[in-house]
Order: sequence, then structure tokens, then C-alpha cells
Amino acid sequence: MLRGLPDNIRRKVESMNSERQNPAFYALLVVLIFMSVGPIYLMLVNSFKLDVDIIGGTSGLLFLPTIQNYETALCDILWYEPEHLDFCSLKFGGAFINSIIIALISTALTLIIGCMAAYALVRFRFFGRDTVSLTTLMVRMVPPAVLLVPVFGLWNNEFCIDKETLVGAWIRDMFGGRGDVCLAGTHSGIILIYIAMNLPFVIWILQSFIVQVPRSLEEAARVDGAGPFQVFFKIVLPLIKPGLAAAAIFTFRIAWNEYLLASALSDRNTKTVPILIVNNMSEFNVEWGVIMATGMLLAIPPIIFTLFASRQIITGMTAGAVKG
Amino acid sequence: MAMPEIRLENLIKRYGTVEVLHGIDLTMQSDEFTVLVGPSGCGKSTTLRMIAGLETVSEGEIFIDDKPISHLDPKERDLAMVFQDYALYPHMDVARNISFALRLQKRPKAEIREKVREVAGIVGLTELLHRKPGELSGGQRQRVAMARALAKDSSIFLFDEPLSNLDAKLRGQMRAELALMSQRVKKNMIYVTHDQVEAMTLADRIVVMHLGRIQQEGTPEELFKNPDNKFVAGFLGSPPMNFLDAELVEEDGQLFACGDAFKIKLPESRKSLVASNKNQITLGIRPSDLNYDHEARDENAFDLKVIVSEYIGAQSVLLCTCGNINVTVELKSETPIALGETLRFAVRPEGLHLFDRTTEKAL
Repeated sequence: MLRGLPDNIRRKVESMNSERQNPAFYALLVVLIFMSVGPIYLMLVNSFKLDVDIIGGTSGLLFLPTIQNYETALCDILWYEPEHLDFCSLKFGGAFINSIIIALISTALTLIIGCMAAYALVRFRFFGRDTVSLTTLMVRMVPPAVLLVPVFGLWNNEFCIDKETLVGAWIRDMFGGRGDVCLAGTHSGIILIYIAMNLPFVIWILQSFIVQVPRSLEEAARVDGAGPFQVFFKIVLPLIKPGLAAAAIFTFRIAWNEYLLASALSDRNTKTVPILIVNNMSEFNVEWGVIMATGMLLAIPPIIFTLFASRQIITGMTAGAVKG
Repeated sequence: MAMPEIRLENLIKRYGTVEVLHGIDLTMQSDEFTVLVGPSGCGKSTTLRMIAGLETVSEGEIFIDDKPISHLDPKERDLAMVFQDYALYPHMDVARNISFALRLQKRPKAEIREKVREVAGIVGLTELLHRKPGELSGGQRQRVAMARALAKDSSIFLFDEPLSNLDAKLRGQMRAELALMSQRVKKNMIYVTHDQVEAMTLADRIVVMHLGRIQQEGTPEELFKNPDNKFVAGFLGSPPMNFLDAELVEEDGQLFACGDAFKIKLPESRKSLVASNKNQITLGIRPSDLNYDHEARDENAFDLKVIVSEYIGAQSVLLCTCGNINVTVELKSETPIALGETLRFAVRPEGLHLFDRTTEKAL
């Protein structure tokens, strides 16, 4: 391939190749790959083992693969009853649906509110704009653990509709239950706190994207006959798509993985998958196989979501900015 | 259909307490190509953006055919605009860029397609309708911006320095195309530029602005031949006009302008100046009004020492000194000139412009 090239260039190309072939470089790569893929591999392999095989340790390589763990995990949505189970105690399907509902709705709402807030903060001049912009980011510094206790109290005692009132009674009739209707233990309660948690970062990240949209584009659209909302939806939003995708990945991931707040604010019917996995451990028994299997299942939606959203980032970048 | 008359009445723009436009009064006739020209910061773009509705009007009023419009949104003003950076929507292809305004108006699909095809034909974009702006060259983007404005069918066309982002050669070409288009498409066009060549070549009427005020308006020829003040005289024309401080002296019934190293006879018509008691004047002479003529008489000639000669093809620009004042002269390149020589240049009486030294008004 290099034969046609002049001598000096060929030597240069060859020396560049030999630099790349440095063994230390490959060793480093292997270590990095091992570090990132290793745990996933372990989880995958162990999810197909019986607990005996996992704890036994001797049969690290030789074992009879079984889907028993997956059967246990998915027992409430399988169409048949697995032989090894007397009773389906693990409601993975329900928790999975809870997780999906909570993650998707909170992501969608965060993006909708976030892009509008970011646009207003970037483009409109109003009293206290800089203060708002700054405090949004400062709110982000508050650790969720600090929020936990006050939010738990508020959701359980303050934000409730009395069961004696018309609306409260109606909700009780529709969904059942005994006490007042409170935010705690509902999907809305968890979604609300996730939005509050993620909004500052989303506003902050989208601001930096909106700043890059040239003002003259919006002016051109206005002269072309677009109203303020048309300018926003037809010009600004398509141009900040990469930013929206990045923010969506970020928000979805946090909402999907979050444990602390969900564990306090959910009840038996609204708990998410991370809570479910931990509930699998008791003081008598840790069902490693089932935990591994649920872990594998838990990892699938974020992967799909990220693949989908990151495609938007790439197309957004190639279609992107026009310079003068 | 006659395109509307635009009238600005005492238009004032303030940013906070800073007033940047101090009362603009201007009438633009229908079908007229008006060019607002001036150095950066003179308020020409602000004026245009106020007409477009992109800036609020602090005081005064804009009338289109006697209808006040300063409170209207841009979309209610029936105008199209070409921006300096083209402002093409990067996420739409050329066809969708051109049809954006029509699609907002919810016109029928067939009509939109027809219009896009027609306009693309006018500006020569038919082959590129499915490209994204990012895949086009500067000149092509410029054409798309033009086509987008044309497609709107509005009666007023605004241009905000549309050629300033192009390289020199392309700019000349686009300028010619623009001139051609303005002949073909009869609309009321307002064009903002800081380039006096663009202003001179395109305009039916030039409005020279400086420091938030209109200095003078008129046809290019009027402004070039009879500038109202020193600013207009110095701004239009390339190379710019020479200014020499002089004193009016009357000798033997003749009026002379005397400087450190020259004494020029002024025409009879200028005699009235003596009565006005203004002796301190500035003499303005365009570089092209000085002719190499070694036999010229003292009273209408300058003796200039040639310092630098800039050869630019058929013409050469000489940088000379007259006493300790710099003077530029433009003349044919074949004229035999040696650097360092002192030569005699004659000036035509019509080429002499006189300005009051304090008010800078033309006399």
C-alpha cells in the first residue's frame, strides 16, 4: 500500500504505525476493557447459574446454564408457572412498569419545562434573571439525602387531599384505600421529586445550547411570519436537538437508577426496580442468581434509550450550525 | 400594483439613557431602491431593524402608505428581509428554507411548490433545492437568502449588509446580480451597507447617515457632485476627497483660497462668500479632479511632491504632499511620474468644494 509513496513519507507513515503498536498501549486498553466489561460479564454469567454454583466458587467455568433465575424474576408476567416456585413473591413486572412510567414521564416533563425555562433565561430580559440562573445551579448542589426527610414529611402530611372532601372521596372511591389521599406512595410523588432534582442541570445544559442559536435566525423567522411559539418550536427546538438528547439520557438514567428517594416515597404498588432488587436480600438469604438476573433486565431499557437518543446527538451534530 | 411609500417621522431610538438615533425624517417613494450608508455605529442598521419591527421605536412613527405600523409585529408588516449572516435555517433544506414563510401562511402545497420553483429559477438555485445550507458555498447561501425573501411576495424588501460576508470577487458579482434583480422585481427596497461602492452602484437614492443623523439624501450623482457637508464629501468616492485648510483672500477683485503652499483662484460665483465673513474654510478636492499639467497657471494649480505611487491597473493613486498636508491624486498609469519629484497638477473650477471649517457645512 505504501509502495507508491516517496521514501520520506513512507518512513513517516511506518513510524506512526509503529508508535501505535506500542504494547503498553494495548495493555492499557485491555485493562480498561476488562474493567468496564468484566462486571457485566460476571453478572451475565452468574444470572444463568444456580445459587449453589455461584457460592460454591469451584464451578467458575463449568456449570449447567439455567434460566431459573429469570423465571423467578419474571414470575408475575410469565404465561406459565415455573416448576421450582411455589409462590410468586417477586413482582418484577409491576416494578418494571413503575420504573418505565416514572422514568419516561419525569424525563419528558423535565425536558419540556427545562427547555422553556432555559430559553426564557437566555433570551428574555427580566428582573432577577441572573439570580434565577445562578440559583438553578446552586439547587443542584443540594444532595438528595438532605431532601429526603423534609420531602418525606411533606409528601405524607402536607400535600394531601382530605378524604372527607369531594375530590378526596372521589379518588378513594376510584382507587380504593383508607386514609387521606397523599403524594407519598404515588407515581406523581416520585415523578415530582425527580423533576425537581433534574431540572436545574437540564436548564443549565440547555442554556448553553440555546445561546449558540444565532439570534438572527429567530429574527428571520419572525420576519417570515412566525409567532413567538412558532419560533420556539420550529426553529429553536430542532436546532438544540443534540442538547435535548443529552439532557434526556442524563435525566432518564438518573430517574431509572435512583434508589434513595424512591425507597422512601414509594409503596408496595409503586416501587421501582432498584428497590425491588434490594428487597430481595433478607437476613436469612441473599438470592444472588435472581439479583443478577434482575440486574441484567434492569440494564436493558437505559441501553435502548441511550442508543436511541444518542443517534439524535449525532444527526444533530452533522446537520448542525451554519457559519457565515 | 404600486409598492408602498414608507415614511419615517422623527424616529428616535434610545437604549436606556443613550440616544442612538436623533430624529430620522425620511420618505421612501414607491418602487425606490434606497440605500442607507454610513460608517459602523451610525444607526443605519438600527433604522432598518426598526422598520422591520425587530427593534422597538422609542419615539416617532413609521408609516407605510400613511398607515402607522410601529406597534405591529414583524409578521404583520408585509416585508421580507435578507440578513448579513443570511440566517438560513440549518435544519431545513433549501426548498424548505425558501418556503418557510409560505408554509407558515398555510398556502396550498401545489402553490408553494410552484413558487419555490419559480423563485429558485430567478436566483439560479434549481439544482440545489435539496441541499442543506451547511453544504452550500457563501454565494449560494446568499442566493438562498435572497430567494427566501423573494418567495414571500411582500411589497417591501430590506437588506442588512447582505454582501459583507462574501469575498471581494463574489461581492462584485452578487452586486451586479442584485442590481439586475432590482430592475426586474419592482419593489420598495431598503438596503443598508457601509460600503460606498455598493451604495453608489445600487441606489436610486442614497441616504448618508452619521452619528444617528441623516447627513444628506439624494441620487448618487447629486451626493457625489454636491455634498452638503464635509462628512458626506469624505465618505463617498474612492479614494476619498482631499481636504486642505485654507483662507479666503480677495485680491484685485478676485477671490483666492490660500493655504501654506498653494493659492487657488475661486470662480466668480463664489464671490458672495466674502460678504458672509467666513474666511476660515476647508477646501475639498477629489483625487480624480487633479490633472497632471506642467503648463498650468499658478492660480489653478497645486505643486505636489510625489511620495508613493500605488499602481492599480489603468489608474494609479499617487500619495503626495503639499507643504505638510497629504494629498492623493488619481491619474492614468501611463503618465510618466518619478517618485520624489515635485509636479504641477491643475484643478478644474467645478472640482473645488468649499466647507465651513467650524460647522463643516458646504459653502
